[in-house]
Amino acid sequence: MTTTDTPTTDTPAKTTSPKSTRALARDRRRQSVARFWRQYRTHRAGLFGLASLALFVLLALLAPLLVGADVQSVTKAPGRPLEAPGGEFPLGTDKYGRTMLGLLIWGARFSLTVGFLAAALSVAIGTLIGITAGHYKGWYATVIMRVTDWFLVMPTLVLAIALASVLSRSIWTIILAIGVTTWPTTARLVRAQTLAVESRPYIERAKALGGGHTHIMTRHVLPNVMPLVLAQTTLVISSAVLTEATLAFLGLGDPTVTSWGGLLQDARDAGATTKWWYVVPPGIAIALVALSFTLCGRAVESVLNPRLGVSR
Amino acid sequence: MDTRVQPVPDVPARRRPRRRVRVLLASGAAALTLTAGLASPLNPAPDSAQAESTGKTRLTVAVAQSVDSLSPFLAQRLVSTSIHKLMYEYLTNYDPKDSHTVPGLATKWEPSADKLTWTYTIRKDSKWSDGKQATAEDAAWTFNKIMTDEGAATVNASYVTNFKKVTAPSPEKLVIELKKPQATMTALDVPIVPKHVWEKVEDFGKFNNDDKFPIVGNGPFILTDYEKDKYVKLEPNKDFWRGAPKFDELVFKTYKDQDAAVAALKKGEVSFVAGQPSLTPAQAAELKNVPNVKVNDAPGRRFFALATNPGAQTKDGEKFGDGHPALLDRKVRQALFLAVDRETIIDKVFRGHAVKGEGYIPPRFSDYFWKPSPDQELAHDPKKAARLLDEAGYKKNGDGKRVGKDGKPLDFRILCHATDPIDKSIGNYLKEWWGELGIGLEVQCLDNVTDPWYAGEYDLAFDGWSVNPDPDFVLSLHICDALPSKPGATSPTDNFICDEKYDELYKKQQAEYDPAKRQDLVKQMQSRLYDTGYMNIIAYPNAVEAYRTDQIKSITTMPSDAGNIYGQDGYWSWWSAVPADDGAGSDGGTSAGVVIGIAAAAVVVIGAGAFVALRRRATAEERE
Amino acid sequence: MTDASTGTTALADPDGPAPAGPSGRGPRARDTVAYLRYGAGKLLGAAVSLFAVLVTSFFLFRIIPGDPVRTITHGRAVSEEQLQALRRQFGIDKPLWEQFTLYCGQALQGDFGNSYQLHDPVGELIWNRLPATLLLTGTAFVLYSLIGVWLGTRSAWRSGGLGDRFNTGLSLTLYSVPSFWLGLMLINVFAVGAGFVPGLFPTGLMESGDGSTGLAHALDVAHHMVLPVVTLVAVGYAQTLLVMRSSLLDEMGGDYLTTARAKGLRDTLVRRRHAVPNALLPTVTLLFVNLGHVVAGQILVETVFSWPGLGGLFYDALSIPDLPLLQGLFFVFAAGVILMNTLADLIYPLLDPRVGR
Repeated sequence: MTTTDTPTTDTPAKTTSPKSTRALARDRRRQSVARFWRQYRTHRAGLFGLASLALFVLLALLAPLLVGADVQSVTKAPGRPLEAPGGEFPLGTDKYGRTMLGLLIWGARFSLTVGFLAAALSVAIGTLIGITAGHYKGWYATVIMRVTDWFLVMPTLVLAIALASVLSRSIWTIILAIGVTTWPTTARLVRAQTLAVESRPYIERAKALGGGHTHIMTRHVLPNVMPLVLAQTTLVISSAVLTEATLAFLGLGDPTVTSWGGLLQDARDAGATTKWWYVVPPGIAIALVALSFTLCGRAVESVLNPRLGVSR
Repeated sequence: MDTRVQPVPDVPARRRPRRRVRVLLASGAAALTLTAGLASPLNPAPDSAQAESTGKTRLTVAVAQSVDSLSPFLAQRLVSTSIHKLMYEYLTNYDPKDSHTVPGLATKWEPSADKLTWTYTIRKDSKWSDGKQATAEDAAWTFNKIMTDEGAATVNASYVTNFKKVTAPSPEKLVIELKKPQATMTALDVPIVPKHVWEKVEDFGKFNNDDKFPIVGNGPFILTDYEKDKYVKLEPNKDFWRGAPKFDELVFKTYKDQDAAVAALKKGEVSFVAGQPSLTPAQAAELKNVPNVKVNDAPGRRFFALATNPGAQTKDGEKFGDGHPALLDRKVRQALFLAVDRETIIDKVFRGHAVKGEGYIPPRFSDYFWKPSPDQELAHDPKKAARLLDEAGYKKNGDGKRVGKDGKPLDFRILCHATDPIDKSIGNYLKEWWGELGIGLEVQCLDNVTDPWYAGEYDLAFDGWSVNPDPDFVLSLHICDALPSKPGATSPTDNFICDEKYDELYKKQQAEYDPAKRQDLVKQMQSRLYDTGYMNIIAYPNAVEAYRTDQIKSITTMPSDAGNIYGQDGYWSWWSAVPADDGAGSDGGTSAGVVIGIAAAAVVVIGAGAFVALRRRATAEERE
Repeated sequence: MTDASTGTTALADPDGPAPAGPSGRGPRARDTVAYLRYGAGKLLGAAVSLFAVLVTSFFLFRIIPGDPVRTITHGRAVSEEQLQALRRQFGIDKPLWEQFTLYCGQALQGDFGNSYQLHDPVGELIWNRLPATLLLTGTAFVLYSLIGVWLGTRSAWRSGGLGDRFNTGLSLTLYSVPSFWLGLMLINVFAVGAGFVPGLFPTGLMESGDGSTGLAHALDVAHHMVLPVVTLVAVGYAQTLLVMRSSLLDEMGGDYLTTARAKGLRDTLVRRRHAVPNALLPTVTLLFVNLGHVVAGQILVETVFSWPGLGGLFYDALSIPDLPLLQGLFFVFAAGVILMNTLADLIYPLLDPRVGR
């Protein structure tokens, strides 16, 4: 799928026009974004994902206004431990007597942050390695791709668990553990795309005009792999959110921070997995966010590569 | 993949793949049918723990651990040592009522005048399950093996380090000669194994005693079957000298998930659930409402404490570790504890399944239990805490953070066991209470707390010990003599405490033979410890367990009134358990479940059948 | 795979992440010599990877803080001499490089040492737990592969239709659910019983241990397997479905199908005889990758269902840290994937002669 032209790469600037090349490039980019959006709009699932994401991000951003940081406080917990849903607590209370609804909203902040940062780290590593491996051929590429392949066969979760248990329990540990174990897929995809881009004649011309390695990689290759990276990022976020929940559930998360996975772990610690209001909402929240990112990612992908035929 | 393969309209080339596909589909159909068959609960697990068809009574215990080794020379986990107590005899045993020493394999024991030679009389009515007589020779061989074989010494070495010589002059007489007097000679928790079986073992460091069943033993139960990580099965020893156990079968099953174990108890799949180390308040609350389930809420023998690093040091006074210097000030230590609301912790974290912490020794041991006087007590008082901190020179700055004279903010770390939910919960409370005082706290939850602990690399820590009827051991954890000889070396010390006054009292109580006077001395020690602010007792957690009364009619707790069942110092609970007359626990729900299960299975089978039929018809069509 | 064992790969890269791929160097299948050379290359690569895994497994777990001897003896009175003796017994008193050479030497002979905590040889421990894991994940693998291929085919054939939308939607939703959470839900509903649903299935474990044998025992184990297998299938089949669907959609654009239709073949026949077999190839690649991960088991699902497999063993070993066991497990987990990938590499040119042209 990676060899098909992406909409943003079709016509390299080669005409002599009265406009400056920079303005031209900007125009072209704006057009392609507009075209991208027009096509994205036709994907109903993608729109649904986007809308639900917007909702979650909004909730996370507004959480300080909606519920306030005190919702995390155990000493100011308003209810008794493990109260069933009812009047004051629409989703009941957790093992400290805090309101589950508030925690759920507050937990979105942590889960989304981890998802975004871990995915950013993973994709950044992947893109860097992918582009350089595609650009510099020879022994560098061979070695780096061997390493990538080798990382690819590592049992990701096992590696992440090992890493998380080595480092102290904090949000950064989780981000790092996810980031450094999930980049190889991106690296492979980006490398393939880089190879495809670099085989085009205009790169040849850029080289002939004296474009250095950095110039080619940042000015020509990077913009062309960006759409792919974007799609990949959304997909990685989806799995990062899940992995965060998994690590937290295994007790490898930071116990003093509220996250959805952490709430599930709390429920298990408290021996309260039979209390549906403690277990069901965080699980659904995790699934919804992961699903939304996946849907967005697939929609982006199918815009870039219509042959995938993602249902609309 | 770098290149997308373009389809080529090359029909003959696809012959092979197609056949492959058909084979795949056929095997798929077969697998589906098979799974449907497998999935059908035609043979639902007996919901009642009693195998009624055979008329055998069975007691199933759900435990959280799996057995690490069945060899008494290697086993370390509680589940394994508990099972060894059922399989083998020990020289002496502890009375279930008040834990005083009672006869085990030995009927009598006496020290020589110089206390260096102990003579045990071995009972004549104990036979190994293969028919051979258990003798003093077996006991002597067991001890000698531990003394001479590094592999056999893996876990029991500490019992024999002071032994000079162990001999068996006659089958009924065991003689142990000591290097110096030893008080624990009636508390040698070493299972005696049959010499004629074990002398064939080549490498004690590797032999797990799980290659031949039943395992030869002389305890109240005989281990008949064992599957790693799955179950351990025992049957009663009909010839046991104290009388055979009442249940026909005792099974230990490993449930890694405690909620699953509780659910199994609710359904009657198991008869007993031992918490690890206790059922949670939520589980206890839930089980209280289940018919035919009894929750045993025994006053615990543990204390749960907040330990502060007094500045780790060696015996020679060499300092090491990186404990916070502010904690060297007693005012700071006491201020920290003054801000801890123990009542809230009992109420919210333990939900009543614990007693508020006072002195070092839990109230269960009433002889030694001590309570601070009202003016001595560090009762919850955040204002006083703030005052103390001000006095100590840690004033609040503009941001509400307390800073020392050097301008550095007061930030502590607390060591917490990552596997202990109680640690984590209380850590959250402390963080907020101390946060209000202007003190920062980082809750460091680790899988492995022993390393930073021994290295003295902590400020505060959650600490807890099980207390024995005789408090000497837990008291000895805080004497100067317990300090390590080198920085970071393993040592008996619990928290690097070294206090002259405490040590003085400790020596006095050790030499005191009058019980009343000794009790008084022990109480004085606790008072001293309390005032130092090194060990602040937050609570005495209860041991919460539960069992089905429709499967177990009665069972002995230890101590017999208000005691616990799992992890006793003896075999009393399982040996004494009496099966309920009517084992039919939850039959109503079960049969309905079976019917629905069978119906569901039938749907699956029919579905699979239809799938196969469709496939076949389709294939037939194709052939035409 | 909610536990990210195969992570994002499937959705992002429907051809599977496997290096199964013919990155332009593969030979024509019929060209035996070239194939042998290609195969030898792949095997050599696999050997290098295996060795790299061996090295990693040694160093990865050495950086876990903690002295295993202390953890094991925690709470008991032991002298420094005894600790030293234990360290000697475990061989962790030697310098690191010496431990490493010793480890490599032994590992090459298939000896991973003895577990610190369970005393048995690591190989034996893994071998004993392997059947439980293989039974669980293997069954799940077979089921989700079949369901995935079947639904994927249907989805692609009527792409855009109601069924397609429902299928992809449902599979993606289940794919997004954390596996351990789904497991807990299933236990709560179908094992504990909720509302009018009675507790049909056991709450955990692999067998009831009632001493039954033969068919009765098989049924007992099957009864215990239902919920964990359902969990794994539910979260796992989306990958196969999506890959199958997209590759079939790809095939359907092919001219040869039009030709086949033009010959007057019926629709179902065209699908079954021409389109599906071709579209299966990428799916097979993915399946091989998944098959490799079968060994790694499902740590989460095994934990939630108290399943006595490798996942549980790994998790227990981590808290000690039981170094030999961790090394052995990690090696086996990774080796499973490497072997399956290599197998896929070797088989691929045979299945699809066009590879590498």
